[in-house]
Amino acid sequence: MNEAQAHPITVEVVRNAIVAYADEMANALCKAAYNMMIYEVRDYCCGLIDLQGRMISQNRGGLPIFLADLGIAIEDGVRRWGLDGFAPGDVLIMNHGETCGQHLNNIVIYCPVFHEREIVAFTANRAHWVDIGGARIGFGSSATTEIFAEGIQLRSLKIYEAGKRNETLWQIINDNVRFPEASLGDLRAQIASCQLGARRYGELLARYGRATVEACIARVWDQADLAVRNVVEKIPDGVYSAESFLDNDGRDLEKTLRIKVTVKVSGSTMSIDFSEMNPQTNSPINSGRSGGIAAARVAFKALTSPDLDVNEGCFRSLEVILPEGTLVSARPPAALGLWSIALPTTIDTILKALAPALPDAIPAAHKGDMGGCSFYGVNAESQRFLLMNIFGGGWGGRPHEDGEDASVSVCQGDVRNSPVELQEIRYPFLVENHKLRENSGGVGKYRGGLGVELTYKTLVPCQVNINFERTKLPPWGLHGGGDGGANYAIIHFANGAESKRVLKGTQIPLQAGDRVAFFTAGGGGYGDPNERTPEAIETDLREGFVSTPDAAQ
Amino acid sequence: MNMVGVDIGGTFTDLVGVIDGKIVSSKTSTTPSDPSEGVAHSLQLAHCDLPGLGELLHGSTIAINTVLERKGAKTALVTTKGFRDVYAIGRGNRIEAFNLFFHRPKPLVARHLTFEADERLDPNGRALKALENAEVELLVKDVLASGVDSVAVCFLHSYANPAHERLIGDALRRAAPHLFVTLSHEILREFREYERTSTTVLNAYVGPRVRDYLSNLETWLRGEKFVGKMHLMRSNGGVMSALQARAQPVSMMESGPVAGMIAAGILCKQLGIDMAIGFDMGGTTAKSSLIMHGAPAVEEGYVIGPMASGQPMQLPVVDIVEVGTGGGSIAWVDATGGLHVGPQSAGADPGPACYGKGSNTPVITDADLVLGRINPKRFLNGGMSLDIEASRAAIKAKVGDPLKLSIEEAAIGIAAISDTAMSLSVRAVSVNKGVDPRETTMIAFGGAGPLHAVAIAREIFIPRVIIPKLPGAFSALGMLMASWRQDFVRTLVGRLGRLDHATVENIFRELAADAEAQLRLDGIPRASAKLIFNADLRYVGQEHALQIPVSDASMLTGDVSKVRELFHVEHDQRYGQAAAEEAMEIVNVRLVLTAPRADTVAERSMAQAWTPTDEAAETSRKVIFNDPLKPLDARILWRPALPAGFAFTGPAVVEEPNSTILIHPGDKVRVTEAGHLVIDVAFGGAQS
Repeated sequence: MNEAQAHPITVEVVRNAIVAYADEMANALCKAAYNMMIYEVRDYCCGLIDLQGRMISQNRGGLPIFLADLGIAIEDGVRRWGLDGFAPGDVLIMNHGETCGQHLNNIVIYCPVFHEREIVAFTANRAHWVDIGGARIGFGSSATTEIFAEGIQLRSLKIYEAGKRNETLWQIINDNVRFPEASLGDLRAQIASCQLGARRYGELLARYGRATVEACIARVWDQADLAVRNVVEKIPDGVYSAESFLDNDGRDLEKTLRIKVTVKVSGSTMSIDFSEMNPQTNSPINSGRSGGIAAARVAFKALTSPDLDVNEGCFRSLEVILPEGTLVSARPPAALGLWSIALPTTIDTILKALAPALPDAIPAAHKGDMGGCSFYGVNAESQRFLLMNIFGGGWGGRPHEDGEDASVSVCQGDVRNSPVELQEIRYPFLVENHKLRENSGGVGKYRGGLGVELTYKTLVPCQVNINFERTKLPPWGLHGGGDGGANYAIIHFANGAESKRVLKGTQIPLQAGDRVAFFTAGGGGYGDPNERTPEAIETDLREGFVSTPDAAQ
Repeated sequence: MNMVGVDIGGTFTDLVGVIDGKIVSSKTSTTPSDPSEGVAHSLQLAHCDLPGLGELLHGSTIAINTVLERKGAKTALVTTKGFRDVYAIGRGNRIEAFNLFFHRPKPLVARHLTFEADERLDPNGRALKALENAEVELLVKDVLASGVDSVAVCFLHSYANPAHERLIGDALRRAAPHLFVTLSHEILREFREYERTSTTVLNAYVGPRVRDYLSNLETWLRGEKFVGKMHLMRSNGGVMSALQARAQPVSMMESGPVAGMIAAGILCKQLGIDMAIGFDMGGTTAKSSLIMHGAPAVEEGYVIGPMASGQPMQLPVVDIVEVGTGGGSIAWVDATGGLHVGPQSAGADPGPACYGKGSNTPVITDADLVLGRINPKRFLNGGMSLDIEASRAAIKAKVGDPLKLSIEEAAIGIAAISDTAMSLSVRAVSVNKGVDPRETTMIAFGGAGPLHAVAIAREIFIPRVIIPKLPGAFSALGMLMASWRQDFVRTLVGRLGRLDHATVENIFRELAADAEAQLRLDGIPRASAKLIFNADLRYVGQEHALQIPVSDASMLTGDVSKVRELFHVEHDQRYGQAAAEEAMEIVNVRLVLTAPRADTVAERSMAQAWTPTDEAAETSRKVIFNDPLKPLDARILWRPALPAGFAFTGPAVVEEPNSTILIHPGDKVRVTEAGHLVIDVAFGGAQS
C-alpha cells in the first residue's frame, strides 16, 4: 500500500464511512425483519468484506459473538466460484455447518461489489432465521446428534444470478422451512441490505479511487492494531489458566463438560489456547471453529478495545490455539444446534484466568448462559405459534461497584427481552410475574447483580424447550466474593401433580393451566463481603434486593 | 398581533418577536436561579412591553435538565401485582456490547417506593382480577405514608382499559389534592409496559418542578399586566397551553431544538420545496432532520440522556439526529495517530483558543479562523475580537506537530473531519427514510450551520443549500410559527381484512372525542382544528411498523386495497423491497390534532420582500478551501447590504451579525426576493 495515498484526513473520512455503511445495512435489515431473533434479539451482523475474506467494517449494535467472522463464508464462495465466477447482480446464500461452524438457522447472504467492472469486495450479513427445517421446530432442541437432522444446508449458492432469481432454490427453501413467510421475508430484507451496502461502497470507490480507499482501510486496521497492542503491553507477561465446567451436554445429564483455557501474554501479543477443552459431544452443544474464535475475540475485545469499531485490525495481536475436535471446534458431522451455549462460560473463564493479573479490569462471573425459552403449539385459531424470549440475569460485582441486574449475557449486546403485553397479545399465555430475583446476587464488597424471575401460564396445550446451563457451577465470585444464585426452572402442573424442577428439556408437554417459572442466575460478588459498607447493606435491605441481614453480609 | 418567543437554553436566552409587524430579537445570558428574570431582561432588551403582547411562546430546558441532573420529585410508582420490577428490569439490553463496566438506565423511582396493586387485565381490557375498593384504600394509605410528592400509575394492559388506573387515580387525587398524579393512559395509550412506565414516571418525576416553574412565571407575567396567552413549545414540534404543560410536562423534554426545524419546514412550504434536510449547527452539536412536504418527520419516542443508560420516552418527538460536532468541538489526536473532532466541547468558557481566555485546545472555530473563513473582527456582530495567533498555536501543538502537518493542513483536516461526521449524520437522516440526499435541498441555520453547510452538501451531493434570513436566531423564530398540537394513540392489534368494523369505528370515535375534550380545555374552536389519523401497519410477522395516513375506519375494515398499496410504496421506499401478496396487520391507531396559529405574522415576515438594512463596501481576503498552499481570493460580502436579486459566484464569504456563510469556488448564489440566500452547489468544482 502506498502510504501517500492514505492521507490522514482521507483515512478519517473512510473510517467513518465504512462503519456508517454497515450501520445502514443493519438498519435496513432490522427494520424490515420478520422474526424477533432479528428485530429484538439482534441476532445478526452486517459488514464489508475484502476479497481475502477480511472484515473491512462491521455494524455497531449487533450480536457481539459475530466478531469479524463473515469472512469464512465468503472465502468458501470464492473457492467454489473463483473470483471471476461472480457477476454484478449475484446474491449468494450460505449456512453450511462445517464451514460456518454455527447452527443452520444462521443464514449468511452476500453480494459481490464491482468497481470499474472489477470485483473489489463483498457486502454480507448473517441473520438468525426462526426455523430452517430439520427434525425439530425452531432451534434449542438438545435431541439431535448430527447436523443432517438440524435442517437444510445451503453452501455458497446463488439465490440471484446476475439479477435473476433462482426460482428452484427459492422453492426448495420455501418447502423445507416451517415458517416460510417469516424466513423468506427475512431473506428479502437480507438481500436488500447487502445490495444497499454494495451501492454505498461503490460510491466511496468512485469518489476516491480503489487504491486510496484500500490504503485508508489498511491504515485503519493498523491503527486499531496499535491501539490494542498498547493495552496488551500493559498486562504483565505470563501464562494464566482457569477452568470451569458446564452441567452436561443435554443428553447425558450426569457428565459435566470441561471448559479450560490457557492465556499467554507476551509483550504486545496474547494467545488463548483451547487445547484442553472438552472434546466435542454427541449432542448439539458443539460449535465449529468459529465458536472458539468468537469466545476468544469477545474476551479479548472487552479487555483491549471495547470502544473501537470492529475490524480485522482489532485481532491481529491475538492468536487463538484451537485444535480440531473440541467443544468449540467440532468436526463434522457434529450437531451444532446449540452452538452458542458454551460461549458465555468460555468467555468468563478467559476473564477469570486473567483476573489475578488485572484485578482492576475484570468483574466477577456473570449469569453465564444465553438465557432464553421457547414455547410452541397451536393456538385457538388453529395457527402454529412459536413464542421465544430472552432473559437477562445478574452480572458480576466489579472492582468499584455492584454488578448490574437483569442484563443479557456477554454474548448478547443490544438484545431486548420481549414485553409482557406484546407476548400476551400475540400468544396464548398469561405472564404471572416479571421481577427481580431477590437474594440472587453473590455477596461481596461489591455485590453481584440480581437475576430475574418470570412465570408463564399456558392457556392451551403446548410444548416447551428449557435450556438452562450452569446450574451446578453458579456464577463465581472473585477476590473473596461469593457465588451468585444459579439458574433453574420449575413447572407447576394444573392437574395437581407434583411440581418439577427442570434444568434442560426438549419438547416438554404442557396442558392448559400449567405454569413454568424461570429463575435466572445472579452475578458473583467481588471482594470480601466484610468490607461492604453499612450504607450499601442498608440500601440492599430497604430496597429488598436482599431480604435478611445474614444474606447481606 | 404582537408576540414573542423566548427560548431559555443552558447558556443563552434567545428572544425573537414580531412587534407591530417588525421582527425584533435579543440574546442574553440565562439566569438559572430565576428564569423569569432572564425572560424579563430579554424582553427589555428587545423593547417589548408585556401588556401589549398577545402571545408569549416559551421553550425551556427545565424538564430535560430535571431528568439529566436527577433533581425531580420524590416519586412513587404503582404497578400491577407481580410486575413491581418491570421498570427496573427494562429490556435487559446492553448497547455497549463489549463494555464489561456498562450501566443500564437507573430508575427514577426507588424500589421501596414501588407499590403493587392486586388487579389484572387481559390484552382486551377485560378484568381477570378486579381492583377492589379495599385494595384502593390500602394503596392510597401506603402511598401517602411514604411521603412522596408525585405518583405514577401504570397497570398492565391499561392502554386497552383505563378503568383500574382511574380508580386509583381518582382516589389519590381526592385524598391528596397537592399530590402530582400521573396515570399512564392519560399520557400514552400504547402497549409495551416498560416504555409506557418509563414515560409515565418521567412525567411524574418532572411534574412538580415544572408546575412550580410555570406558576412562578405566570404570577410574574400577571404582575407585569400580561393579558395574552402563554404557550409552551413541546417535543412534537407543536405548542400547548400552560394548563396542558402542567398535566403533561414530559412532552416538553425537547422544547428548544425542534423549533428551528418547524421554521425550516414552513420555509420549504413557502418556497415549494418538497424534500429538504434541516441542518442546525451550534456550539456543541449539529442537528439534522428530514423535512418532507413542509414538515419535519416525527418519531414515536427516543431516549433522554445517553443512548445506553438514558430514560426511554415514548411520546412523539421531532426526529432530530444529533452529532457531537459544533463550533466548540475539540480536535484531538489519539495514541495511534488518528485525528478526531469532538464530541468533547470547549463550551463558552474557556471556549475556543481564539477567544483568548487562555485555552490552547483547538476547536472547529479555531480551524475556521486559521483558514480565513471567519472574520476575526466581525465575530458576534463585532462584540468579540478573535485571536488568530492563539488558534494557530493551539492547532500546531495539538494536531499539526503530532501528525507532521502544517498548521493550514491540520486546520483543513479538522474542518474536513467534522464535515464528514456531519455529512454522515445528515445522510443518515435521509437514507434511513429511503430518501436520496441528491433529491433534497438543505436549509442551514444556527450560529455555525451556514459556515459548514456547503461543504456537507458537497460530500453527499445535495445540489442546493438555502440560508434563510436570521439564521442565527432561527429556532426562536420557529416558535412563532408552530401550531398548537396534541397527539393521541390507541393500541389495536389485528389482521387487515379481518378487523371488526364496530371495534375500529369505536376507536376512531373515542380518539375524536378525546380530541374534542382537549380542544374545549384549551378553548380552541372545533372548526379551526385539523384531525389526521394514522395507522401503524406492518406485514404479519414484522415488528417495526410504518405509519400510513387513513381518513376513517372504513379504510381499515372495508376495501383495504388503498391502504395496502400505500404501505407497499412506503416499505419499498424505506427498505428497498415490498411484498405485494403478503398479509398485513395493524398495531396502533394514532391521531394528530393540530390547530394552526390565528396569526401568521411570523410566517409572513419570512416571505416579506427584502430590502437592505445596511450599507457596506465589498472587500476581499485570502481564504483556504482545499489546498493549504493556494489560498483563494474570496469576495467578502456583508449580508445586510445585499439587495434582492443580487447574484454572485464563489469563492466568497457572506458575513452577517450572528453568522457567516462560506461559498465554495464555483457555487452560484442568489439573494431571493424575500432575502434568503440560495446556493447552487458546484460539484467537481475548481478544487474539489
